[in-house]
Amino acid sequence: MTMKPWVWAWTAAALAFAATVLLTSGRGAGELAYAALSFGAFAAIVGLGQMLVITLGPGNVDLSIPACMTLAGTLALKAMGTTDGTAFLGLAVALATGLAMGCANFVLIWLLRLPPIIATLAASLIYQSLAIWSNRGLRIKPPEGLADFSTGRFIGVPNLAWIALGLAILVWLLLERTIWGRWLLASGQNARAARLAGIPVQAVRAATYLSVAVFAALAGYLLASFSGGAALNMGAEYLLMSIAVVVIGGSSIAGGNSNVPGVIGAALFMFLVVSMLNSYGAGAGIKSVLTGTIIIAIVIAASTRRSRQ
Amino acid sequence: MKTIMTGAATLALLAGAAYAEGTADKRIALSNNYAGNSWRQAMLQTFEETASAAVADGVVAAADAFTTSENQTTEQAAQIQNMILQGYDAILLNAASPTALNGAVKEACDAGVKVISFDSIVTEPCAWRIAVDFVEMGRQEMDYVASRLPEGGNLLEIRGLAGVSTDDAISKGIHEGVAKHSQFEIVGAVHGDWAQDVAQKAVAGILPSLPDIVAVVTQGGDGYGAAEAFAAAGRPTPLIVMGNRQDELKWWAEQRDANGYETMSVSIAPGVASLAFWVAQQILAGEEVPKELTVPFLTINQDGLDAALETTPEGSVANVSYSLDDAKAVIAGAK
Repeated sequence: MTMKPWVWAWTAAALAFAATVLLTSGRGAGELAYAALSFGAFAAIVGLGQMLVITLGPGNVDLSIPACMTLAGTLALKAMGTTDGTAFLGLAVALATGLAMGCANFVLIWLLRLPPIIATLAASLIYQSLAIWSNRGLRIKPPEGLADFSTGRFIGVPNLAWIALGLAILVWLLLERTIWGRWLLASGQNARAARLAGIPVQAVRAATYLSVAVFAALAGYLLASFSGGAALNMGAEYLLMSIAVVVIGGSSIAGGNSNVPGVIGAALFMFLVVSMLNSYGAGAGIKSVLTGTIIIAIVIAASTRRSRQ
Repeated sequence: MKTIMTGAATLALLAGAAYAEGTADKRIALSNNYAGNSWRQAMLQTFEETASAAVADGVVAAADAFTTSENQTTEQAAQIQNMILQGYDAILLNAASPTALNGAVKEACDAGVKVISFDSIVTEPCAWRIAVDFVEMGRQEMDYVASRLPEGGNLLEIRGLAGVSTDDAISKGIHEGVAKHSQFEIVGAVHGDWAQDVAQKAVAGILPSLPDIVAVVTQGGDGYGAAEAFAAAGRPTPLIVMGNRQDELKWWAEQRDANGYETMSVSIAPGVASLAFWVAQQILAGEEVPKELTVPFLTINQDGLDAALETTPEGSVANVSYSLDDAKAVIAGAK
């Protein structure tokens, strides 16, 4: 079979898009595409980070993504304090927060030898508490220029989508064209063999856990700027979302095999499928059941194709 | 704000002195299941202010707040059991589930601890319930929309968190209101989880498939997100019912100043925790208190907007702190 696993995510996204537009007899197509690109961007950014971690192999996953988003968004917006011209200060604060959280996660995993699931989950409680403690849940508005940028567009495409696209290309280049990408894939396929082959496996893991936290922090900064302020529960839906887009996108959940285009397609799909079900007036229960069923169907389709390759 | 608070504190002081003899050695605990949004933060803050003033005045010996970290019923049940062991005389409870904590609540009652549930209440008969008539809140939203738009039209409904009783109750009231004002039709419904960013995303996704919308009925914490989604889609802003969050009120005031925008805002005040505190104090003082109490919701109309904005901290929720007299009035009203 020559079918790439990411085809399924893109096909599903296209079908969901078509089904929704059908309802409006073609009227809202542009509007829907624009919304999908805007909101898909957040899922794509955190999904790319999660993909790198999952590629590290069995047991590697970052569950602190929601808390990272919340803490980075909260600290960045507090630092900016609605003053114009502080967008880059806020970005620096968010990225530095991301780096710090990534370091903390890796220290827990490496020095204390905690399983990543436990380490990141425990750390996320601390990050969430820090976010609560630092601002008690008060929503501070982003500076006007930053708010305009995050909700604005360039050649008809949302600025956020350009950022996500840029990051996707960067990650793709890193994975496919650099030695570090080969190291990551090799570590994920067989950590022991990789170590014996002279690959600095711990350094690769460290860099990966730092990357995912920085990606989450960036997503948190952008989401807070986009939606008019950081909220304490703003990252909540991105925990399962980040893992879902990786799996739907055709990356192997067992690691050692990543798929950048699939993550983008899956991020668009996750927004479109909910929009489609909302547009057809499905109730909350039916919506959850259908979303789950569709995700399982795509994962099965994508994985059977791969195993026959 | 300050004068009101000082006034309330003075009142509490006077009232406290009169009622202190019965409860001066009593200890009250707050068991709270979640702290992850601005509403709960405002609730905890109001409780803290009320409780520390009451302790300083000698009304009660201690009033401590505890929040579970994972919003899990098992965790909160264990927390309640710890409170029984620690010898608290009353437990204020904002519950993770209406039914799953009943066992732990019954244990507390059997141990002689008074349990007062509020906001998210429990069904266990031995506990007190301070509830909001959320169905009525939904009905009032529709009555207001109908009074503003007598000719009717298409509605978008933003619901809360699926599976939570509050969401069902408000939505039920809204649907009853639509049945009463039959010139309206709900053409779309999304779940906004009471969060601006979630509501913004859900509304942006459903808008392309919707006809012209004349009004958006909401549950609180979602109005600003809806307004942003309408603006991003380039659609005219409909009548959006707001939910007392400061960013919603600020947006409303800006629109009013720019183009005379009119709407209303309704939600439950986080200060309900202070009401629960005083009800608990009354129960401990030996007052006869009915098990079912109703707390009014906080409605802000066009005339009250500026005053509400002034007293609401940036990024928080419009709030009222209830005094002992408010608690007595609520108790008297339920008898």
